[in-house]
Amino acid sequence: MSVADEVRVLRTSAALAAGDHLACVRVRGAGAHDLLDRISPRELFLRSGQLLHTVLLDDAALPIADVYLGCDDDDYLVIAEGMTGRAVADYLAAHAGGLDAAIEDTSESHAFLCLGGPYAWEVLAELTSPDVIGLPYLGFFHAPEFSCFRAGKTGEYGYDLWIERGRLAEVRERIAAVGRAFDLAPISPAALTVAALENWFWNPRRDVRPGLTPIELQLQWRISYGRTFPGSAALAARRASAQQRIVLAASPGALVDGAVICAGDRAIGAVLHAEWSPTRDEALAIALLDRPVAHAGLTGLIARTPAGAVPLRTLSAPALDNRSLYVDPQRHSYATRHTDSFPPLVRA
Amino acid sequence: MLDLETQVAPRAALLDRLRALLVDHLQLRRAVDELDPDAPLFGSGFGLDSLDAVELVVCLETEFGIRVGDAVALRHAFRSLNTMIDLVLAERGGAA
Repeated sequence: MSVADEVRVLRTSAALAAGDHLACVRVRGAGAHDLLDRISPRELFLRSGQLLHTVLLDDAALPIADVYLGCDDDDYLVIAEGMTGRAVADYLAAHAGGLDAAIEDTSESHAFLCLGGPYAWEVLAELTSPDVIGLPYLGFFHAPEFSCFRAGKTGEYGYDLWIERGRLAEVRERIAAVGRAFDLAPISPAALTVAALENWFWNPRRDVRPGLTPIELQLQWRISYGRTFPGSAALAARRASAQQRIVLAASPGALVDGAVICAGDRAIGAVLHAEWSPTRDEALAIALLDRPVAHAGLTGLIARTPAGAVPLRTLSAPALDNRSLYVDPQRHSYATRHTDSFPPLVRA
Repeated sequence: MLDLETQVAPRAALLDRLRALLVDHLQLRRAVDELDPDAPLFGSGFGLDSLDAVELVVCLETEFGIRVGDAVALRHAFRSLNTMIDLVLAERGGAA
Protein backbone atom coordinates (compact mmCIF):
# COMPACT_ATOMS: atom_id res chain seq x y z
CA MET A 1 0.00 0.00 0.00
CA SER A 2 1.35 3.45 -0.90
CA VAL A 3 1.73 6.22 1.67
CA ALA A 4 -1.12 8.05 -0.08
CA ASP A 5 -3.41 5.02 0.34
CA GLU A 6 -2.34 4.67 3.96
CA VAL A 7 -3.29 8.29 4.64
CA ARG A 8 -6.66 7.75 2.93
CA VAL A 9 -7.35 4.79 5.24
CA LEU A 10 -6.42 6.90 8.25
CA ARG A 11 -8.76 9.68 7.10
CA THR A 12 -11.76 7.47 6.41
CA SER A 13 -11.71 4.28 8.51
CA ALA A 14 -9.10 3.02 10.99
CA ALA A 15 -5.35 2.45 10.84
CA LEU A 16 -2.69 0.87 13.01
CA ALA A 17 0.94 2.00 13.18
CA ALA A 18 3.93 0.88 15.17
CA GLY A 19 4.69 3.42 17.87
CA ASP A 20 8.45 3.09 17.74
CA HIS A 21 8.69 6.90 17.68
CA LEU A 22 7.23 7.03 21.21
CA ALA A 23 8.93 6.33 24.53
CA CYS A 24 7.48 6.23 28.04
CA VAL A 25 9.35 7.04 31.22
CA ARG A 26 7.76 6.42 34.61
CA VAL A 27 8.66 8.62 37.59
CA ARG A 28 7.94 7.36 41.09
CA GLY A 29 8.53 8.66 44.58
CA ALA A 30 7.63 11.55 46.85
CA GLY A 31 9.45 13.97 44.56
CA ALA A 32 7.88 12.79 41.29
CA HIS A 33 5.42 15.68 41.04
CA ASP A 34 8.06 18.26 41.89
CA LEU A 35 10.42 16.85 39.26
CA LEU A 36 7.83 17.12 36.51
CA ASP A 37 6.89 20.55 37.77
CA ARG A 38 10.52 21.61 37.31
CA ILE A 39 10.74 20.53 33.70
CA SER A 40 7.19 21.25 32.47
CA PRO A 41 6.87 24.52 30.54
CA ARG A 42 3.13 24.35 31.26
CA GLU A 43 1.27 24.51 34.56
CA LEU A 44 1.16 20.97 35.92
CA PHE A 45 -2.52 20.67 36.81
CA LEU A 46 -3.31 16.97 36.40
CA ARG A 47 -5.73 14.49 37.91
CA SER A 48 -4.97 10.78 37.78
CA GLY A 49 -5.80 9.47 34.32
CA GLN A 50 -5.10 12.80 32.61
CA LEU A 51 -2.38 13.89 30.19
CA LEU A 52 -0.92 17.33 29.58
CA HIS A 53 0.47 18.11 26.12
CA THR A 54 3.64 20.19 26.17
CA VAL A 55 7.28 20.17 25.00
CA LEU A 56 10.67 19.67 26.55
CA LEU A 57 13.08 22.52 25.89
CA ASP A 58 16.84 22.75 26.07
CA ASP A 59 18.54 25.67 27.80
CA ALA A 60 18.41 27.69 24.57
CA ALA A 61 14.60 27.19 24.49
CA LEU A 62 14.77 24.89 21.47
CA PRO A 63 12.08 22.18 21.64
CA ILE A 64 13.75 18.79 21.81
CA ALA A 65 10.72 16.56 22.42
CA ASP A 66 6.96 16.62 22.06
CA VAL A 67 5.65 15.21 25.34
CA TYR A 68 2.54 14.18 27.16
CA LEU A 69 2.90 14.34 30.93
CA GLY A 70 0.53 11.97 32.72
CA CYS A 71 -0.58 11.49 36.30
CA ASP A 72 -1.01 7.80 37.14
CA ASP A 73 -2.17 7.67 40.78
CA ASP A 74 1.01 8.46 42.74
CA ASP A 75 3.30 8.08 39.73
CA TYR A 76 3.90 10.31 36.73
CA LEU A 77 4.48 9.33 33.11
CA VAL A 78 6.43 11.15 30.42
CA ILE A 79 5.45 9.98 26.94
CA ALA A 80 7.90 11.48 24.51
CA GLU A 81 8.39 11.78 20.78
CA GLY A 82 11.70 13.12 19.49
CA MET A 83 13.90 11.69 22.26
CA THR A 84 14.66 8.11 23.20
CA GLY A 85 13.42 6.86 26.57
CA ARG A 86 17.02 6.83 27.74
CA ALA A 87 17.52 10.46 26.71
CA VAL A 88 14.31 11.50 28.47
CA ALA A 89 15.42 9.65 31.62
CA ASP A 90 18.80 11.42 31.46
CA TYR A 91 17.06 14.79 30.97
CA LEU A 92 14.87 14.16 34.01
CA ALA A 93 17.81 12.95 36.10
CA ALA A 94 19.73 16.11 35.25
CA HIS A 95 16.95 18.17 36.84
CA ALA A 96 16.19 15.88 39.79
CA GLY A 97 18.74 17.23 42.23
CA GLY A 98 17.54 17.01 45.84
CA LEU A 99 14.32 15.19 44.96
CA ASP A 100 13.20 11.68 45.92
CA ALA A 101 12.32 10.46 42.42
CA ALA A 102 12.94 7.07 40.79
CA ILE A 103 13.14 7.39 36.99
CA GLU A 104 12.42 4.30 34.90
CA ASP A 105 12.79 4.17 31.13
CA THR A 106 10.29 1.49 30.03
CA SER A 107 11.55 1.17 26.45
CA GLU A 108 13.01 -2.30 27.07
CA SER A 109 9.84 -3.68 28.66
CA HIS A 110 7.06 -1.89 26.75
CA ALA A 111 6.22 -0.68 23.24
CA PHE A 112 3.49 1.40 21.63
CA LEU A 113 0.94 0.73 18.92
CA CYS A 114 -0.94 3.72 17.51
CA LEU A 115 -4.59 3.23 16.55
CA GLY A 116 -6.20 6.11 14.67
CA GLY A 117 -8.98 7.11 12.33
CA PRO A 118 -12.57 8.36 12.44
CA TYR A 119 -13.71 4.87 13.47
CA ALA A 120 -10.75 3.93 15.69
CA TRP A 121 -13.00 4.35 18.73
CA GLU A 122 -15.22 1.57 17.38
CA VAL A 123 -12.29 -0.81 16.96
CA LEU A 124 -11.16 -0.02 20.50
CA ALA A 125 -14.68 -0.52 21.87
CA GLU A 126 -14.75 -4.00 20.31
CA LEU A 127 -11.33 -4.75 21.80
CA THR A 128 -12.11 -3.55 25.30
CA SER A 129 -15.51 -2.17 26.26
CA PRO A 130 -18.06 0.33 24.92
CA ASP A 131 -17.04 2.52 27.87
CA VAL A 132 -13.97 3.69 25.90
CA ILE A 133 -16.29 5.83 23.80
CA GLY A 134 -16.48 8.19 26.76
CA LEU A 135 -12.72 8.50 27.17
CA PRO A 136 -11.95 12.22 26.78
CA TYR A 137 -9.10 13.57 24.68
CA LEU A 138 -5.91 13.44 26.79
CA GLY A 139 -7.39 10.83 29.10
CA PHE A 140 -6.04 7.33 29.73
CA PHE A 141 -6.91 4.06 31.39
CA HIS A 142 -5.31 0.70 32.08
CA ALA A 143 -6.84 -2.42 30.52
CA PRO A 144 -5.62 -5.97 31.22
CA GLU A 145 -3.69 -6.17 27.94
CA PHE A 146 -2.48 -2.58 27.59
CA SER A 147 -2.70 0.97 28.78
CA CYS A 148 -4.60 3.26 26.44
CA PHE A 149 -3.80 6.96 26.01
CA ARG A 150 -6.23 9.01 23.94
CA ALA A 151 -3.83 11.26 22.09
CA GLY A 152 -2.21 11.09 18.66
CA LYS A 153 -1.17 13.73 16.15
CA THR A 154 -3.32 13.04 13.13
CA GLY A 155 -6.45 15.05 13.92
CA GLU A 156 -8.47 11.81 14.06
CA TYR A 157 -9.64 9.74 16.99
CA GLY A 158 -6.29 8.50 18.23
CA TYR A 159 -5.26 5.95 20.83
CA ASP A 160 -1.68 5.18 21.76
CA LEU A 161 -1.62 1.69 23.27
CA TRP A 162 1.24 0.96 25.69
CA ILE A 163 1.90 -2.76 25.76
CA GLU A 164 4.31 -5.14 27.43
CA ARG A 165 6.65 -6.34 24.70
CA GLY A 166 5.83 -9.94 25.51
CA ARG A 167 2.19 -9.32 24.55
CA LEU A 168 2.81 -7.03 21.58
CA ALA A 169 2.33 -9.63 18.83
CA GLU A 170 -0.80 -11.01 20.47
CA VAL A 171 -2.39 -7.55 20.81
CA ARG A 172 -1.46 -6.61 17.25
CA GLU A 173 -3.10 -9.80 15.98
CA ARG A 174 -6.23 -9.14 18.01
CA ILE A 175 -6.49 -5.60 16.66
CA ALA A 176 -6.03 -6.88 13.11
CA ALA A 177 -8.74 -9.49 13.64
CA VAL A 178 -11.23 -7.06 15.16
CA GLY A 179 -10.24 -4.41 12.61
CA ARG A 180 -11.27 -6.48 9.59
CA ALA A 181 -14.86 -5.34 10.02
CA PHE A 182 -13.62 -1.75 9.87
CA ASP A 183 -11.21 -2.18 6.94
CA LEU A 184 -8.39 -1.40 9.34
CA ALA A 185 -4.99 -1.34 7.65
CA PRO A 186 -1.42 -1.07 8.90
CA ILE A 187 0.22 2.24 8.09
CA SER A 188 3.83 3.39 8.07
CA PRO A 189 5.65 6.13 9.97
CA ALA A 190 5.72 8.07 6.69
CA ALA A 191 1.90 8.18 6.67
CA LEU A 192 1.88 9.48 10.26
CA THR A 193 4.33 12.21 9.21
CA VAL A 194 2.08 13.32 6.33
CA ALA A 195 -1.01 13.24 8.55
CA ALA A 196 0.71 15.30 11.24
CA LEU A 197 1.62 17.97 8.70
CA GLU A 198 -1.90 18.01 7.24
CA ASN A 199 -3.20 18.65 10.76
CA TRP A 200 -0.48 21.13 11.75
CA PHE A 201 1.12 19.09 14.52
CA TRP A 202 4.73 19.92 15.24
CA ASN A 203 6.95 17.01 14.28
CA PRO A 204 9.97 16.75 16.61
CA ARG A 205 11.68 14.40 14.17
CA ARG A 206 11.50 16.86 11.26
CA ASP A 207 10.63 20.38 12.34
CA VAL A 208 13.66 21.15 14.47
CA ARG A 209 16.22 23.77 13.43
CA PRO A 210 18.72 25.90 15.35
CA GLY A 211 17.03 29.13 16.37
CA LEU A 212 13.45 27.86 16.22
CA THR A 213 11.80 28.22 19.62
CA PRO A 214 8.11 27.75 20.51
CA ILE A 215 7.61 31.38 19.45
CA GLU A 216 8.63 30.77 15.84
CA LEU A 217 6.93 27.34 15.83
CA GLN A 218 3.52 28.61 17.04
CA LEU A 219 3.83 26.40 20.12
CA GLN A 220 3.29 29.10 22.72
CA TRP A 221 0.00 27.46 23.75
CA ARG A 222 2.17 24.72 25.30
CA ILE A 223 4.06 27.27 27.42
CA SER A 224 3.18 29.19 30.58
CA TYR A 225 5.45 32.22 30.63
CA GLY A 226 5.18 32.83 34.35
CA ARG A 227 6.98 29.60 35.16
CA THR A 228 10.64 28.69 35.56
CA PHE A 229 11.66 25.66 33.48
CA PRO A 230 14.63 24.64 31.33
CA GLY A 231 14.92 27.26 28.61
CA SER A 232 12.52 29.73 30.25
CA ALA A 233 15.10 32.55 30.45
CA ALA A 234 16.10 32.11 26.82
CA LEU A 235 12.47 32.01 25.76
CA ALA A 236 11.65 35.20 27.64
CA ALA A 237 14.60 36.94 25.97
CA ARG A 238 13.45 35.69 22.59
CA ARG A 239 9.96 37.02 22.99
CA ALA A 240 10.74 40.58 21.99
CA SER A 241 13.15 39.68 19.21
CA ALA A 242 11.58 36.84 17.22
CA GLN A 243 11.92 37.61 13.53
CA GLN A 244 10.04 34.72 11.92
CA ARG A 245 6.97 32.51 12.33
CA ILE A 246 5.87 29.32 10.62
CA VAL A 247 2.80 29.31 8.38
CA LEU A 248 1.06 26.51 6.50
CA ALA A 249 1.65 26.73 2.75
CA ALA A 250 0.36 24.82 -0.27
CA SER A 251 1.36 24.42 -3.89
CA PRO A 252 0.13 22.43 -6.89
CA GLY A 253 3.81 21.81 -7.68
CA ALA A 254 6.40 19.72 -5.88
CA LEU A 255 7.98 21.44 -2.88
CA VAL A 256 11.26 20.55 -1.23
CA ASP A 257 12.71 21.37 2.16
CA GLY A 258 14.84 24.51 2.00
CA ALA A 259 13.17 26.05 -1.06
CA VAL A 260 13.36 29.84 -0.89
CA ILE A 261 9.95 31.58 -0.79
CA CYS A 262 9.62 34.85 -2.67
CA ALA A 263 7.05 37.58 -3.15
CA GLY A 264 8.08 38.89 -6.53
CA ASP A 265 11.85 39.36 -6.29
CA ARG A 266 11.78 39.64 -2.50
CA ALA A 267 12.81 36.59 -0.46
CA ILE A 268 10.48 36.34 2.54
CA GLY A 269 11.29 32.88 3.92
CA ALA A 270 11.93 29.23 3.19
CA VAL A 271 10.22 25.84 3.23
CA LEU A 272 11.00 24.11 6.49
CA HIS A 273 9.30 20.78 5.77
CA ALA A 274 7.27 19.71 2.75
CA GLU A 275 5.11 16.65 2.04
CA TRP A 276 2.67 15.65 -0.67
CA SER A 277 -0.84 15.65 0.79
CA PRO A 278 -3.01 12.91 -0.69
CA THR A 279 -6.01 14.36 1.11
CA ARG A 280 -5.67 17.71 -0.67
CA ASP A 281 -3.85 16.39 -3.78
CA GLU A 282 -1.26 19.14 -3.54
CA ALA A 283 1.99 19.78 -1.73
CA LEU A 284 1.82 21.12 1.81
CA ALA A 285 4.63 22.77 3.66
CA ILE A 286 5.60 24.40 6.87
CA ALA A 287 6.90 27.74 5.62
CA LEU A 288 9.14 29.82 7.85
CA LEU A 289 8.36 33.43 6.89
CA ASP A 290 9.51 36.85 8.00
CA ARG A 291 7.23 37.73 10.89
CA PRO A 292 5.57 40.88 9.40
CA VAL A 293 4.27 38.82 6.47
CA ALA A 294 3.81 35.47 8.27
CA HIS A 295 0.06 35.23 7.72
CA ALA A 296 -2.36 32.80 6.14
CA GLY A 297 -4.29 33.82 3.04
CA LEU A 298 -1.34 35.08 0.97
CA THR A 299 -1.45 34.31 -2.75
CA GLY A 300 0.93 34.84 -5.64
CA LEU A 301 4.05 33.63 -3.83
CA ILE A 302 6.78 31.56 -5.47
CA ALA A 303 8.91 28.74 -4.05
CA ARG A 304 12.25 28.40 -5.79
CA THR A 305 13.10 24.68 -5.92
CA PRO A 306 16.03 22.97 -7.69
CA ALA A 307 13.53 21.91 -10.38
CA GLY A 308 12.29 25.45 -10.90
CA ALA A 309 9.85 27.93 -9.44
CA VAL A 310 6.43 26.73 -8.31
CA PRO A 311 3.44 28.83 -7.19
CA LEU A 312 2.77 28.95 -3.47
CA ARG A 313 0.02 30.29 -1.22
CA THR A 314 -0.42 30.29 2.53
CA LEU A 315 -3.49 28.97 4.30
CA SER A 316 -5.03 28.54 7.71
CA ALA A 317 -4.23 25.37 9.61
CA PRO A 318 -5.27 22.63 9.74
CA ALA A 319 -5.43 21.75 6.07
CA LEU A 320 -8.54 19.58 6.29
CA ASP A 321 -11.87 19.16 7.98
CA ASN A 322 -11.24 15.87 9.76
CA ARG A 323 -14.04 13.32 9.58
CA SER A 324 -13.44 12.62 13.27
CA LEU A 325 -14.85 16.08 14.05
CA TYR A 326 -18.21 14.92 12.75
CA VAL A 327 -18.33 11.20 13.55
CA ASP A 328 -20.34 10.91 16.74
CA PRO A 329 -19.99 7.53 18.48
CA GLN A 330 -23.50 7.95 19.86
CA ARG A 331 -25.03 8.24 16.36
CA HIS A 332 -22.63 6.85 13.80
CA SER A 333 -20.80 3.62 13.09
CA TYR A 334 -18.55 2.30 10.37
CA ALA A 335 -21.32 -0.03 9.24
CA THR A 336 -23.61 2.92 8.48
CA ARG A 337 -20.96 5.23 7.00
CA HIS A 338 -22.43 5.13 3.50
CA THR A 339 -25.77 6.44 4.71
CA ASP A 340 -24.32 8.97 7.14
CA SER A 341 -23.64 12.45 5.80
CA PHE A 342 -20.38 14.25 6.51
CA PRO A 343 -18.73 17.41 5.19
CA PRO A 344 -15.94 16.92 2.63
CA LEU A 345 -12.43 16.49 4.03
CA VAL A 346 -11.26 19.54 2.09
CA ARG A 347 -13.36 22.67 2.01
CA ALA A 348 -13.73 24.47 -1.33
CA MET B 1 3.93 43.61 -8.89
CA LEU B 2 2.74 41.59 -5.89
CA ASP B 3 1.61 43.89 -3.10
CA LEU B 4 2.16 41.66 -0.10
CA GLU B 5 1.37 44.34 2.43
CA THR B 6 -2.09 44.84 0.91
CA GLN B 7 -2.81 41.15 1.47
CA VAL B 8 -1.37 41.15 4.97
CA ALA B 9 -2.98 44.30 6.34
CA PRO B 10 -6.60 43.12 6.76
CA ARG B 11 -5.53 39.79 8.27
CA ALA B 12 -3.10 41.44 10.67
CA ALA B 13 -5.77 43.92 11.78
CA LEU B 14 -8.29 41.13 12.35
CA LEU B 15 -5.73 39.05 14.23
CA ASP B 16 -5.12 41.95 16.61
CA ARG B 17 -8.85 42.45 17.09
CA LEU B 18 -9.62 38.78 17.70
CA ARG B 19 -6.72 38.37 20.11
CA ALA B 20 -7.99 41.34 22.14
CA LEU B 21 -11.49 39.89 22.03
CA LEU B 22 -10.32 36.56 23.47
CA VAL B 23 -8.43 38.28 26.27
CA ASP B 24 -11.08 40.89 27.08
CA HIS B 25 -14.37 39.03 26.52
CA LEU B 26 -13.36 35.45 27.28
CA GLN B 27 -10.94 36.37 30.06
CA LEU B 28 -8.19 34.25 28.54
CA ARG B 29 -5.31 34.67 30.95
CA ARG B 30 -2.63 35.15 28.36
CA ALA B 31 -0.90 38.10 26.75
CA VAL B 32 -2.08 38.80 23.22
CA ASP B 33 1.31 38.01 21.67
CA GLU B 34 1.10 34.48 23.10
CA LEU B 35 -2.03 33.73 21.06
CA ASP B 36 -0.54 32.12 17.97
CA PRO B 37 -2.82 32.39 14.92
CA ASP B 38 -2.91 28.65 14.13
CA ALA B 39 -3.06 27.30 17.70
CA PRO B 40 -6.19 25.30 18.54
CA LEU B 41 -8.82 27.41 20.29
CA PHE B 42 -10.48 24.59 22.17
CA GLY B 43 -9.35 21.61 24.24
CA SER B 44 -5.64 21.40 24.85
CA GLY B 45 -4.87 24.63 22.95
CA PHE B 46 -6.22 27.83 24.48
CA GLY B 47 -8.54 25.66 26.56
CA LEU B 48 -11.82 27.23 25.47
CA ASP B 49 -14.99 25.25 26.24
CA SER B 50 -18.60 25.08 25.06
CA LEU B 51 -19.58 28.16 27.06
CA ASP B 52 -16.78 30.09 25.39
CA ALA B 53 -18.08 28.87 22.03
CA VAL B 54 -21.44 30.50 22.78
CA GLU B 55 -19.63 33.69 23.77
CA LEU B 56 -17.66 33.60 20.52
CA VAL B 57 -20.87 33.27 18.51
CA VAL B 58 -22.24 36.33 20.31
CA CYS B 59 -19.00 38.24 19.71
CA LEU B 60 -19.06 37.44 16.00
CA GLU B 61 -22.49 39.02 15.80
CA THR B 62 -21.88 42.04 18.02
CA GLU B 63 -18.34 42.83 16.90
CA PHE B 64 -18.50 41.89 13.23
CA GLY B 65 -22.19 41.69 12.41
CA ILE B 66 -21.78 38.05 11.40
CA ARG B 67 -24.48 35.49 12.15
CA VAL B 68 -23.53 31.91 11.27
CA GLY B 69 -26.41 29.46 11.17
CA ASP B 70 -24.44 26.59 9.67
CA ALA B 71 -23.05 24.39 12.45
CA VAL B 72 -20.45 22.83 10.15
CA ALA B 73 -19.13 26.25 9.07
CA LEU B 74 -19.01 27.34 12.69
CA ARG B 75 -17.14 24.24 13.79
CA HIS B 76 -14.59 24.82 11.04
CA ALA B 77 -14.27 28.53 11.84
CA PHE B 78 -13.64 27.91 15.52
CA ARG B 79 -10.55 25.76 15.04
CA SER B 80 -8.08 28.66 15.30
CA LEU B 81 -7.77 32.43 15.10
CA ASN B 82 -6.79 32.08 11.45
CA THR B 83 -9.92 30.10 10.59
CA MET B 84 -11.99 32.77 12.35
CA ILE B 85 -10.25 35.41 10.24
CA ASP B 86 -11.11 33.37 7.13
CA LEU B 87 -14.76 33.40 8.18
CA VAL B 88 -14.86 37.15 8.81
CA LEU B 89 -13.14 37.95 5.52
CA ALA B 90 -15.41 35.56 3.62
CA GLU B 91 -18.51 37.13 5.16
CA ARG B 92 -17.26 40.62 4.33
CA GLY B 93 -16.50 39.53 0.79
CA GLY B 94 -19.95 38.00 0.45
CA ALA B 95 -21.58 41.15 1.74
CA ALA B 96 -19.60 43.44 -0.58
